[in-house]
Amino acid sequence: MSSATKASRIGEELWKTRVDKVNAELVTLTYGTIVAQLCQDYDGNYQDVNKQLEKMGYNIGMRLIEDFLAKSNVGRCANFRETADMIAKVGFRIFLNIAPTVTNWTSDNNQFSLVFDENPLADFVELPDDGRAQDELWFSNILCGVLRGALEMVQMQIEAHFVSDVLRGDDTTEMRVSLVRYIEDEMPPDEE
Amino acid sequence: MSYYFTILSPTDVPLFNIAFGTSKSGGDGIARFRFPDTAQYMNQFIIHSSLDVVEEAQWMNGNMYLKHIDTYPPASAYISAFLTPSGARFLLLHQPPQLPTNNVSSATAGSGSILGSSFSGSGGSSSRASASSVAANPTSPQTEEAVRQFMTEVYENYVKTVMSPFYRQGMEIKSSVFRGKVTAAGRKWL
Amino acid sequence: MSVFSLIIINKAGGLVYQREFQPGLRKLSTNDYLVLAGTFHGVHAITRSITPKLPLPVTAPATTPTTSTPNAVSPSATSTPAPSTVTHSFPNPGIPATGLETMETDKFRLTCFQTLTGTKFLLFTDPTMTNIDVIMKKIYELYADFVMKNPFYQLEMPVRCESFDRNLTGWLRGRA
Repeated sequence: MSSATKASRIGEELWKTRVDKVNAELVTLTYGTIVAQLCQDYDGNYQDVNKQLEKMGYNIGMRLIEDFLAKSNVGRCANFRETADMIAKVGFRIFLNIAPTVTNWTSDNNQFSLVFDENPLADFVELPDDGRAQDELWFSNILCGVLRGALEMVQMQIEAHFVSDVLRGDDTTEMRVSLVRYIEDEMPPDEE
Repeated sequence: MSYYFTILSPTDVPLFNIAFGTSKSGGDGIARFRFPDTAQYMNQFIIHSSLDVVEEAQWMNGNMYLKHIDTYPPASAYISAFLTPSGARFLLLHQPPQLPTNNVSSATAGSGSILGSSFSGSGGSSSRASASSVAANPTSPQTEEAVRQFMTEVYENYVKTVMSPFYRQGMEIKSSVFRGKVTAAGRKWL
Repeated sequence: MSVFSLIIINKAGGLVYQREFQPGLRKLSTNDYLVLAGTFHGVHAITRSITPKLPLPVTAPATTPTTSTPNAVSPSATSTPAPSTVTHSFPNPGIPATGLETMETDKFRLTCFQTLTGTKFLLFTDPTMTNIDVIMKKIYELYADFVMKNPFYQLEMPVRCESFDRNLTGWLRGRA
């Protein structure tokens, strides 16, 4: 059984038995309001909005990972590929009920893309037509931060960013995730 | 039949306007009003003048769809209204094609006249819009039903559009997606 | 059958939570608890680093706790399947060994559960108590719910969440 199938099964099981459901519109509208408010507060400086969303996500991720581990009861992943399946098929499944596709691996297995067929955060959303939001705002950038925060807590330093978004008129919504390094143990190995 | 659809905020600010023609019975979906291009504002005048009637009619029953509420005989313009619970008003002006003056037959006769010039400015070259029962008789039950379907569909899309976090209440609806949806609804029902 | 107390140690070895549910253990001062947490953190790290390399049988008694009079110490194995390679025991990512897991005396049993994020839960129970993993899992879930999801809880800081206390006590009482 491939790790992807295994992960799908775990995700499915958890979604059915362990997850409290809330109304999707509540989530969508809450998140949308936050982004819109940030755009207003930062006076349309979308780079700053992206950065802020990422930071918020980072703080969420650092907390969410415990919930993920406590609920899923999964062990440590053997490699980054397994981690990717875990994120896509279990993590996204239990928190957003979606399962993005893991694809476009680099040959060193350190970079992959998550392609989102659907994105509950972006339902109803139409970006402001000020001529810049379409090119500068990554509406769902909070997700990049969530992944970074969560993986950092399990000793993986990663970098994540969106490369395309259907909201901008692209064909797909795609996030690129790259492993920077494994964060070493708190104990330096040869400290006498 | 030509249509002019507008959404007014609770404070009577126009949020959205669109003009289109019937797509039934071989209509090409292009609006041909009886006013010249230079007098497009007539549609807006007529629609806004019906607001008083809307305000009376809205207390008559609890329905959101108020059916045909007002007529402006000089331009044979008929107004149908739909109220959203939040107080936005959807108003649809429909105007049957003008019959050729020498044609004394009933309203079901085909209308080939292009007295009303093309509203959308895309040329009135092949302007053949034969009138069906829906298109020709603005007060018939079929028309009421078709307008109701149209209004309901627009309402659904309106709700989705105003749910966009970047839309602020009372702001003009600029969404091209919404415009497309309204056009599609018009093509489907009217 | 009783749970005496719970200690939570953050990944830096600091005591973030200490709570007694039933009397039975000697009281310590706050300072002593802090020392205990720090000491345990160190011992845990040592036990992990002296855990035999993976191809060796895991039954080898290799760890020596420093406190009390231990009857048994189980060097731990990985929670993930052992890697197929036998040449090195630290495959990417991370660590195959988790360090000291239980320590038993005739008066109590200490069970340690370390999450993948490095937080340690120390549970002091009656030595005859069974199903400690169930309790541990529930505690972890309550921690995730009421501590980590509390937006005003600052990570790595002492846990002062009343709802966590309440739910924890309530659940343990419900079990007893």
